[in-house]
Amino acid sequence: MVYTKKHPALLIMGVLLVALAVATDAGLLDGIVGYLKIGSKTGEMTGMSYLFGIIAVAVGAWHMWGKHEEGNLDYYLSSVGGAIFILFIAMIVTWFAAPWVAVVSKSMGPVMGAKYLHDVLGLNYVVLGILAGIITVNVFKIPGWAENGVRLSRLGLKTGVILLGTLYSLAELAHLGKLSVVMIGFFVLGSVGLVLFLGRRRKIPNSMGGVLSAGMGVCGVSATVAAAPVVQAKPTEIAYTIGTILIWGVGCMFLFPVIGHVLDLGHIQFGAWAGTGILNSAQVAGAALAYQPDGIETLKVAEIFNITRVLFLPLIVLWLAVWYVRREETAAGTQVNVGKVVFEKFPLFVLGFILMFALSSTGIFAPAQHYKGKYFDNDIAESKLLTGEDVALLTSEAAKVQSPAQAGALARLIEGRKIANIDDDAAIRGLTNAKVLSKDANNVLKKAHKVVYHTAKMIKKFRQWITWLFAFGLTGLGMQITGAAMRQAGGQPLVIGGVVGTIKAVLSLIVILLFVSETI
Amino acid sequence: MTAARILLASHGTPGARAAEQAALSLCAREGTIWHLEVVPDFWKGMRGDDWLNNTVTQQRFGDYVESQLERELAEHAAALSREVLSLGLAYENLSILGKPADCLLEVVSRESFDLVVIGSPRPKGTPGYRSRMKMETLVRGLRVPLFIAPHPDR
Repeated sequence: MVYTKKHPALLIMGVLLVALAVATDAGLLDGIVGYLKIGSKTGEMTGMSYLFGIIAVAVGAWHMWGKHEEGNLDYYLSSVGGAIFILFIAMIVTWFAAPWVAVVSKSMGPVMGAKYLHDVLGLNYVVLGILAGIITVNVFKIPGWAENGVRLSRLGLKTGVILLGTLYSLAELAHLGKLSVVMIGFFVLGSVGLVLFLGRRRKIPNSMGGVLSAGMGVCGVSATVAAAPVVQAKPTEIAYTIGTILIWGVGCMFLFPVIGHVLDLGHIQFGAWAGTGILNSAQVAGAALAYQPDGIETLKVAEIFNITRVLFLPLIVLWLAVWYVRREETAAGTQVNVGKVVFEKFPLFVLGFILMFALSSTGIFAPAQHYKGKYFDNDIAESKLLTGEDVALLTSEAAKVQSPAQAGALARLIEGRKIANIDDDAAIRGLTNAKVLSKDANNVLKKAHKVVYHTAKMIKKFRQWITWLFAFGLTGLGMQITGAAMRQAGGQPLVIGGVVGTIKAVLSLIVILLFVSETI
Repeated sequence: MTAARILLASHGTPGARAAEQAALSLCAREGTIWHLEVVPDFWKGMRGDDWLNNTVTQQRFGDYVESQLERELAEHAAALSREVLSLGLAYENLSILGKPADCLLEVVSRESFDLVVIGSPRPKGTPGYRSRMKMETLVRGLRVPLFIAPHPDR
C-alpha cells in the first residue's frame, strides 16, 4: 500500500512557514509582535519556522511531484504532512492565538485577586492547542493527507517525558516518587476496588466491571485499551467506558486549573492533585501546563505521578486478568501468562526517562548539583570580579547588615570580590531581597550573584524542547478526541464512573491540602 | 403491498428487530432481503487519546474490537438469514463502516431496490450506541420508498 497522498497542503504550509520566518526576521510583523507582546518569541518564531518550513517545502514537493512506491520511505515521509499540520496549528496557537487571548483578558482587568481571566481559566497555548485539535477533528475532520502523521503526537509526548528526565534532581525524584507511590497506590487500588464493588452491587457483567475499573483507576483510555481484551469486554462496554472517561478527562482538564487557582494551590500540590484525580494521563499533562504555562515545575510533578500510574498499569491488568478468570465461567481454565502481561504492558519510554535522569546526574548536560538547570560556580574570569568601586560601596554599607550569616557572606564577598560558596550565595540573595542596603549596593549584590549562578545551556534547550513536544503532542491528541466517541458515554459506566471519579477527585484534593506541602 | 427487493438496515436492537419483522412481512414471494449492517464510524476514534500504550497493546486492542464487532455482526446475520431462508426468501448481507444514513444511501446508489426498511429511533433513555440514522440526510438522498417500522416500546 502506498501511503503518500498527492496533495499540495504540505507544500503550502511549508511556504507559509518560510514566509512567516522571513517576515519576522525582516521586522514586518513588528506591529503585531508589539501588540501581542511576543517580542521574546521572535527568535523561536524565526528559527523554528525556517527549519520546519524548509522541511515541509522539501517533503511537500516530493509529495506532489515525487515517485511514490510502497516501502519505508513512502510510509515515513507520508507522516510528515500530519506532523507539520499539528505543528502548524500548535505554532499559530502558541505565537498568536494564546497571546491574543492574554491581551484581551488583560484588557478586562483582574478577576480574582491579581489574576486575569485567562490565568484563572487556564486559557494558554496548551489548552487552546488541545481545543484547536478537538475543533479540527470534530468540525473540519482530519484531512486524508494528514491522517497518517497525526499519530506521531504520541511520539511527541513520549519524547517530552523522556527529556523531562533531565530536569529532576535526585532529592526531588526521591521525594516526588515516594509521594506519588503512596498517593497513586492508595487511589488506584481504592478506585479499582470501589468500581468492582459498585459493579457487583449494581449487577453489571464482570467484563464491564473489569474494563471500567481499569479506566477509572489507572490511566483512563490507555488502561481501558490495555485491559479490554484481557477481561473480554464487549464492544458496548468499551464504548460506554471510553466515552465516559473522555468526557471526564476533558471536563477535568478545564475544571482542575480553575479550582487550583481558586484554592491558590502551589505547583507541587496542583501537580499531585492533577496526577491523582484526573483519569486520563494526557489530560493530566494538559491540566498541569494549563495551570503553569510559563514554567514546567507543575508538569514535572504531574508527570512523576503519570509515570507511577503507568508503572501500576501492568500490575492492575494482571490483577484484573486473574480476577476475571476466577469469576467468569467462559474464562475458566485459562492460564494467565504473568510474564507476558507484564512485559507487553511495560511502558518502555519510562526506561528512556530513567536513562535521561541518570545521564543528567552524571553532569553530562549540566553540573550534577544543578537545580532546575541552574548551578553555582565561582570559577570566573578576572574581568567578572567586583570592581574597586563596587567593593568600596559595599564596604561603606556593611555595617547596616545585622544577620551574622549575611554579614559573614558580605565580608567574604568584599574580601574575595566574588561570592565564596553556595551558602554565601543564598545569604547574599537573602540580603538583596531584604533590601537592607541602598539600591546601588543591591545592584552590586545582584551582579555578584549573576556571575556565579549559571544557566546550563543544554538544560535550557531541553526545557524549550519539552514545552514544544508537549504542545505538539497535546494538540495532536486533541485531534483524536472525537465528539462521536464522547457521546457513547452512558449506561452503568457513566453512573459508576461519575460516582468513583468524583470521590477520587474530591478525596485526593482533601488529602493534598492536608498532607502535601510546597517544599521538597 | 409487497416488494421483491428490500434493503433492510438492522443491527439487532429492539427497534431493528421490528424492522426485520416488517421486512419479512412486506417481502414478495421469492423476493430478496438485503441485510445492511452498519458499523458506526465512531469506532475509528475509540482509541481516543491513548498515548501510553505501546504498538503491540494498541494493535491487540484494535484486533480485539474488530473481532468482537465481526462476531456480533456474524451472529446477527446468521440469525436473520435463518429466519429469511425459512420463509423461502433469498438473503444477502452487507457490512459497512461509516455513518448509518451515508452507508444506506451508498448501497442504494449501487443496487436497485423496491423498498428500504428501517427501524425507528429508540426512545430516550434506552441503552445503546449513540449512532442514529440521520433522517434528514436519508430522506433527502433516498430515491426509493422508505418504510419505518414503529419501535416496539412505543
